[in-house]
Amino acid sequence: MSGLSIPFERHTLDNGLKVVLAPDDTVPIVATNLWYGVGSRNEIPGRTGFAHLFEHMMFQGSQHVPKNKHFELIEKVGGSANATTWFDRTNYFEKVPSNDLELSLWLESDRMGFMLPAMTQEKLDNQRDVVKNEKRQRYDNQPYGDWEERLLKLIFPEDHPYRHTVIGSMADIDAATLDDVSDFFETFYVPNNAVLTLAGDFVPAEAIEQIKRYFGDIERGAPIPALPGNPTIDPKIGTTVRDDVSADVPLPRVIMGHRIPPYSSPDFAVAQVAESLLGKGRASRFYSRLVRERRVAKSVVVFVYPLLTGASMMLVWATGYPDTELDALEAAVSEELESLAAPNQSEIDRAITLTETDLVRSLERVAERADQLSMFDLYFDDPGRLNRELDRLRAVSLEQVSAFASEYLVPDNRAVVTFQPMEAR
Amino acid sequence: MSSLDRTEVPERGTMRDFSFPDVTRVDGPNGLDLRVGRMSRLPVVSVNLFMRAGEAALAPSRAGLGVLTADALEGGSRRRSGTEIAEAMESIGARLSAAGGWEGTSVAMSCLADRLPEAMAILAETVLEPAFPDDEVERAKEQQLAHIRQRTMDPGSLATDAARVRYFAESVPYARPVDGSVESIAEMQRDSMRGYADANYRPGGGGLVVVGDVEPTEVQAMVREHFGSWEGEPGTRPDFTVEPRTRQCTITVVNRPTSVQSEIRVGHVGAARSTPDYYALSIANMVLGGMFTSRLNLNLRERNGWTYGVRSRFTFRSQPGPFQVSAAVGSEATGPAVREIVHELRGMAQDGPTEEEVTAARDFAAGIFGLQLETAAQVATRVSQLIVFGLPDDHFDRYRDTVRGVTRDQAAGAAARHIRPDELQIVVAGRADEVVGQLEALEVGPVEVVEADA
Repeated sequence: MSGLSIPFERHTLDNGLKVVLAPDDTVPIVATNLWYGVGSRNEIPGRTGFAHLFEHMMFQGSQHVPKNKHFELIEKVGGSANATTWFDRTNYFEKVPSNDLELSLWLESDRMGFMLPAMTQEKLDNQRDVVKNEKRQRYDNQPYGDWEERLLKLIFPEDHPYRHTVIGSMADIDAATLDDVSDFFETFYVPNNAVLTLAGDFVPAEAIEQIKRYFGDIERGAPIPALPGNPTIDPKIGTTVRDDVSADVPLPRVIMGHRIPPYSSPDFAVAQVAESLLGKGRASRFYSRLVRERRVAKSVVVFVYPLLTGASMMLVWATGYPDTELDALEAAVSEELESLAAPNQSEIDRAITLTETDLVRSLERVAERADQLSMFDLYFDDPGRLNRELDRLRAVSLEQVSAFASEYLVPDNRAVVTFQPMEAR
Repeated sequence: MSSLDRTEVPERGTMRDFSFPDVTRVDGPNGLDLRVGRMSRLPVVSVNLFMRAGEAALAPSRAGLGVLTADALEGGSRRRSGTEIAEAMESIGARLSAAGGWEGTSVAMSCLADRLPEAMAILAETVLEPAFPDDEVERAKEQQLAHIRQRTMDPGSLATDAARVRYFAESVPYARPVDGSVESIAEMQRDSMRGYADANYRPGGGGLVVVGDVEPTEVQAMVREHFGSWEGEPGTRPDFTVEPRTRQCTITVVNRPTSVQSEIRVGHVGAARSTPDYYALSIANMVLGGMFTSRLNLNLRERNGWTYGVRSRFTFRSQPGPFQVSAAVGSEATGPAVREIVHELRGMAQDGPTEEEVTAARDFAAGIFGLQLETAAQVATRVSQLIVFGLPDDHFDRYRDTVRGVTRDQAAGAAARHIRPDELQIVVAGRADEVVGQLEALEVGPVEVVEADA
C-alpha cells in the first residue's frame, strides 16, 4: 500500500485561530472539529475535573443560542454533536449534511466568542449534578472503577499535571464556581489556543470566507499560562511501584503501566509498534500466548497514551479467571514484556500492517480525519503529519523495538495495580 | 465582516442529492443470497456473512450454544491452528470476527481491496471447516463463564438481566440472556459445537454481503470458488410466540449494597421488526427518549441533573423484543426519576408527540441516515439487515421519503398501541435501604427486593 495523501489547506486568522480545510465531496456531509489547547493538565489544585465540567457548560447556550438549542438545532438537521476532554486537550465536533455547514460555524463561533453572558448559577448547578452522575456511572459504581486514579498516582510524581484523572474528584467538582467558569473561559477559550478543522463536502474558498465571518471578530486572548505544578519528569520511574487492592470485583486483574517517551518523541512510533505486536489482533503475543495457549488470562488489552507533557505511558490490562493467581498472571505478563526484547521481523511486519490498515479504515470517516488533522496541528503545528504517519510506522526497525523493550518495559520502570476479588462470593 | 447578525440561525443551503450505494444481487452458488455493494472512496472492503443459526431457535438447556460456537470458530480449521489463521489474516491487515445472536450468526471481515481473494479464502476455511479443538472449546467456555460472572457484578447488566426476565414469559427465549447461563454453558462439549455448526452453519435463509472497492463479477468468481460446495438449510428454526410475563405493573429492587447510584430499567414487551407501525413508532420513540433533546433526557438530565443520560428504545427483532427506558441516577433521586419516567411514558401513550416534535424527529431520522453511510462496514451492516428481516431490496432507497411521510397522528397512534403505562415492569439495581422507601411512596405497586447474587 502506498502512503496517505489526504489533501488539505491551512490558514491562520488574524486573531490566531488556526484553520485546516480538508475537502472530500464523495459524501454529502461535513465534519466540523475544534481542538482547544486545554485539558486536565491545566487544572489548578482544588479544581480537578474542571476542564471536563467546563466542557459541559459549553453546551448550555451562549449569548445568541438559548439552552438546549445547540443539540436541538443539530438534531433537527439530522446531525450529531459532542465533545470530549482529555489530559492535553478538549475537542468539540459536529457532523451535519453539507448544506448545514453554516449552522455548525454559527454555533461554535458563538460559544467561542460569546459564552459568558449566558452563564448562570442554575446551569452550573445542573451540569455539576450531571457530571457527578457521569462520574458515578462510569467510575464510582463500576467494578475496578478507580484503577486509573490509582495508577496515575504511581506513574506520575507529586505536582505533575498528569497525576490526577480527567474526571477529577467529587469535592473539587462541588467546589467549582461561576468565577471559575469565567476565568477558565477567558484564559483558555481564545482563538489563539484553538484549531478549527473542516473535513468533507465543501468548497474551501467559500468555507474560509464563512469562517472569517463567524470567527474573525472574536478577540485574541493573552498567551496561555504555563502549566501548573512541575511538568518535568524523569524518563523512567526507577523502580517497581505497586498498589494491591482487594475489592468487590468479579475477576482478578493486573494493570501494569510503564513510563515511556512523550508523543512528540521519535521513539513514540516504536511504542506504537510494540503496542500492536503485544496486543492487537489474535496473532499478537498476549492473545496467542496468554489467552489462547496458556489460558492464564481471559483477556489482555494494551494501550499507549499519546501524552505530551514530559512523559507518556503504556498500559497492559490483564484479566484472569476466577481461580487465576494474581502472582502468576503478573509473572506471565512480565515474561511477555521482557521477551519482547527479542522480537522477530515477521511479527513486526504484521504489527505494522495491522496498525496501517486500522488507520486507513478509521480515515473512512470524515469526522475522524478532521479530528486527526486538528490534533496534529494543535500538538505539533503540523497537520500534514497525518499523511506521514504510515512512513513513521514503517521506519520502525527490529533493533528499535528490542531497545525500547529493554529500556522501558522492565521492572525498574513499572507501576502495578492489582485487583483481588473479595471473598464471600 | 462587521455586518454579521448572530441573532438569527443561519439559513440552510440546498441539500445535496443522496442515494444509498448501488447494491447488486449476484447469483451465488447453490442459491446463496450474494449481494455486492460498490463504494470506491478508499481501497477497502467489508464482508458480512449471515447464517440463520440463532439463539432464538435453541431450547433452554442449549442456551448460549450459538454464541459459544461463534466464539470458538476462530480456534482453528482442519488445516491450520487458530494462531496460524490469525497470522495469515493479520499479516495482510485483515480482521475477522464471529458473533452469535438471537436471529443468527454473523461473521464480519474487513480487508484492503487487493487482499480480498486471500481473505475470502480464509473466511471460507474458518466457517466451512472449523475444527473446534478441545483446548479452544475449553477456552471459549471458560471465557463465557467468566463473562457471566462479570455481568453479575456490573450494575447495569444486573438491572438489564433482571428486567428482561420480568418483561417476557418464561417460555420466551428473549427472557434469558442471549449467551446462556452457567448451567447451560457448563454442559457444552466439543461435540455440541461441532454438531451445532454442522447442522446450522448453512447458507439457506442467510446471505453474504460484500461492500467496498470491488467488481461484482470478481466477487462472484471468488465466492463460487470458495463457497461452491456449501449447501443446505439450518437444522433448527425458532418456534415460539412472544407473551409478556404479566400485565400487572411490578417494581423490583435488585439489592446491591455497594452501589452509589441506581440503575433503572422500565419497560415491557415491544414490537416486532415487521410491525406496520415501524416508522411511526421509531419517530414516537425518538421524541420520547431516542435523541439528546428527547422529553426524557431534557427532563431527567437537563432540567433535574439526576442522570448523565437517559434513553428509551424499542429493540426490533423477528418477534417483539423489549421496549425499555434506561438510566443511571443518583440514589437519592431514584423515586423522583422513576416517577418522571412513568409520567413521560404516560404522556406519550395518551397524547402522543406534538406536530413540532414529530417534524424535528423526522428531520433527525432522515438526516442522520445519510451521515451513517460513510464506511463500507456501515453499508454492509445495513444490507445485512435486509437479509435478516426479509426487507425489500429498495428499502434503504426509500427510507428517507418513508420516514419523512410519518404524520403526527400516525406517531401518536403507534405510541398508544405500543407503550402501555399500566403494564410497566420497573427494575432498580441499587441500595435497597435507600431506594425502597422512595419507590413505595410512588404508590405504583408493591416493591419486591431480591439480592444481587441470588
